[in-house]
Amino acid sequence: MDTMGIIFSNIYDNNMGELTKERTSASIPFGSRYRQIDFILSNMANSSIRNIGIITKYNYQSLMDHLGSCEEWDLSLGDGVRFLPPYATGHTGAYRGKLEALQTALPVLQRSDADYVVLADTTVLCAIDFSLVLDEHVASGCDVTVVAKAGRADGKKKHQLALKLDDDGKVCDMAVDYIAPEDYLVGMSMFIMSRKKLIEVIREMTPHGKYHFERDFLLPQYHEGKLKVNVYSFHNVALFNESVEEYYENNMRLLSEDVRHSLFRSEVPIYTKVRDAIPTLFGQNGQAPNCLLADGSHIFGFAENSVIFREVDIDEGAEVRDSIVMQGSRIGAGAKIRYAILDKNVIIKPGTNLLGSPNHPLVISKGAVI
Amino acid sequence: MQFQKKRCVAMLLAGGQGSRLMVLTENTAKPAVPFGGKYRIIDFPLSNCVNSKIDTVGILTQYQPLELNEYIGNGQPWGLNSSHGGVQVLPPYAKSKNSEWYKGTANAIYQNIPFIDRYRPDNVLILSGDHIYKMDYAKMIRFHEQNDSDCTIAVRDVPLKEASRFGIMNTRADGSIYEFEEKPKHPKSTNASMGIYVFKWSVLKKFLEDDEADPKSENDFGKNVIPAILNAGHKLYAYQFEGYWKDVGTISSLWEANMDLLGKHPQFDIYGKTGNKIYARNTAKPATFVAKSAELHESFISEGCEVYGMVDHSVVSTGCVIGKGAEVTDSVIMPDVVIENGAVIRSAIIAEGCHIKAGARIGDYHEGEERRIAVVGKDKTIAEGEVIEAGAVI
Repeated sequence: MDTMGIIFSNIYDNNMGELTKERTSASIPFGSRYRQIDFILSNMANSSIRNIGIITKYNYQSLMDHLGSCEEWDLSLGDGVRFLPPYATGHTGAYRGKLEALQTALPVLQRSDADYVVLADTTVLCAIDFSLVLDEHVASGCDVTVVAKAGRADGKKKHQLALKLDDDGKVCDMAVDYIAPEDYLVGMSMFIMSRKKLIEVIREMTPHGKYHFERDFLLPQYHEGKLKVNVYSFHNVALFNESVEEYYENNMRLLSEDVRHSLFRSEVPIYTKVRDAIPTLFGQNGQAPNCLLADGSHIFGFAENSVIFREVDIDEGAEVRDSIVMQGSRIGAGAKIRYAILDKNVIIKPGTNLLGSPNHPLVISKGAVI
Repeated sequence: MQFQKKRCVAMLLAGGQGSRLMVLTENTAKPAVPFGGKYRIIDFPLSNCVNSKIDTVGILTQYQPLELNEYIGNGQPWGLNSSHGGVQVLPPYAKSKNSEWYKGTANAIYQNIPFIDRYRPDNVLILSGDHIYKMDYAKMIRFHEQNDSDCTIAVRDVPLKEASRFGIMNTRADGSIYEFEEKPKHPKSTNASMGIYVFKWSVLKKFLEDDEADPKSENDFGKNVIPAILNAGHKLYAYQFEGYWKDVGTISSLWEANMDLLGKHPQFDIYGKTGNKIYARNTAKPATFVAKSAELHESFISEGCEVYGMVDHSVVSTGCVIGKGAEVTDSVIMPDVVIENGAVIRSAIIAEGCHIKAGARIGDYHEGEERRIAVVGKDKTIAEGEVIEAGAVI
């Protein structure tokens, strides 16, 4: 069965503050050497999904730079992977919802001969095999399969999509923007449905002013008994980067071996853009206990409990703790930073002190000199 | 088939067995030997070609070609996946009348005259697959063309007392060569050949054909072809190269070249000021994790590693695990090596895929003694607590 993929690159842009000022959610750097989109794109490539549409609206320059011709994913831009910028440019700002965004994918969906479509955001990071999800979807006989994670709902936080299963694993309740109790599963913003059904839904819903996939389509149709919904319960590590705080915490979670070994497995590699940076050089007194590091850095100072991206310089006597330092940033001699997120190419002058707090990390925008 | 005419085609000699690298080349062609954490030796000449705007490269190989072939693939990591040129791996092949292995460096090029002729190049650049350096070949080719030279040989200045180990070019004031001496007892100059040549293709082709017709020839560039061109009265020039260059044909030179990458002001800065990158085929491995228990000094660490132990003055390649309490000093750890807890590695080269079990000890070095590098060949397992002496080759 042929399956195609649709990736939404701008969803949640409004939650990510400075990090999405000049980029899409899809291109937010994560985990020392990745961008968020690397995970979903690699998952699709590893599941033999080669026909992929990436829906973009604005700020997608950095995303295009990152993906290049897609050869690093063993995919090919133009022949398989397509950027889908807005079809009509009637209004600006983010798409109000996925159904609205999908309008732009309609011609591609109609031309395709795929039987099924995987719809996904770039903000939930995991290693998932979509061929297993598809098998289960087909066996279930349902109209839509929602990939969801147990154990995330805590009765405190609002979730965009929450589902409850009965003892037989059948969906017995569904809610949107719901402070879900612990026995609910939380949707991972990944769906499978047949291509024909998806085309039908886009054509039927959007002219009626319905633009939100979960609220305007899944929820009412499920409750009216018009839509059979199946849940694929995902059991491995899934990191939800839906806010700056979660983004910070999830980077830090990579310092735990269990999380790394679940996300990064040699049989399902996560690909990213090749930078051809040289390996990281540690100086005589350069130390980095409990850190994640990529290539191309010069560590002459001290870093602890931090996620360091490519080509970062930490000079003599500098101290970096509990922070995320993105590509090309430099921490000058004797500077001290803690609980901070330094975006790309930030320069911290020698001797500067920066202190955020564990719950509200200090975000320094791209290219800032402090 | 005719292709667009090229100003220069590069031919990279990668056929040597590299027997002086012993176990490291047991199942690997020398140019495919890992270097500097994430590279292989061949990445250096190949990247130099790309950075010098040479887009057509033939790689001459006949020994253990499988791994090299797989590594080069379609040439994409170097931007050499072009449909008009690009990189081609050229093993010896059976022809209708005869088939033979490459008898020597010159014969390897001779057998591939049809490949070069397709591009009708003005010049052919001959390179070796076992040198570590960064060089702009375009400058050398410009020098060659400006002097209307028939053959230009890259040379570097070596100390006089070492000159008798090299092929020495004796030149006039304008850089033209009047004499070539292979390993002279009493060297007259210190211009050592680097094994990098630019020939006018029309001249080289004729001399390759003459050389092939001579049954006494060893079919070698240094021994036969270049002396013949010189004796025939052609114009030969020496092109001075200043910069880091190392022949990594022996265990100790390979180890030294790796060590030259370390320190705040390394002898060989791969990135350099100019920023001409060295390209390599990348593996899709995650970032490196350095644990609380880890201790690092003066070392080069690639992506995809997990470091729990101590690494001092060493190069650790992609995908390695260094266990708690393990100690790695003055060593080169090639890709995908697992070093278990408490193992001690000193002055050693550990080849790809080795598994060093807990408490094993490999190599040793005491200040003031002659350093003897221990070598463990590809995919070997060293048993728990096993001791491998300094200088041992396994």
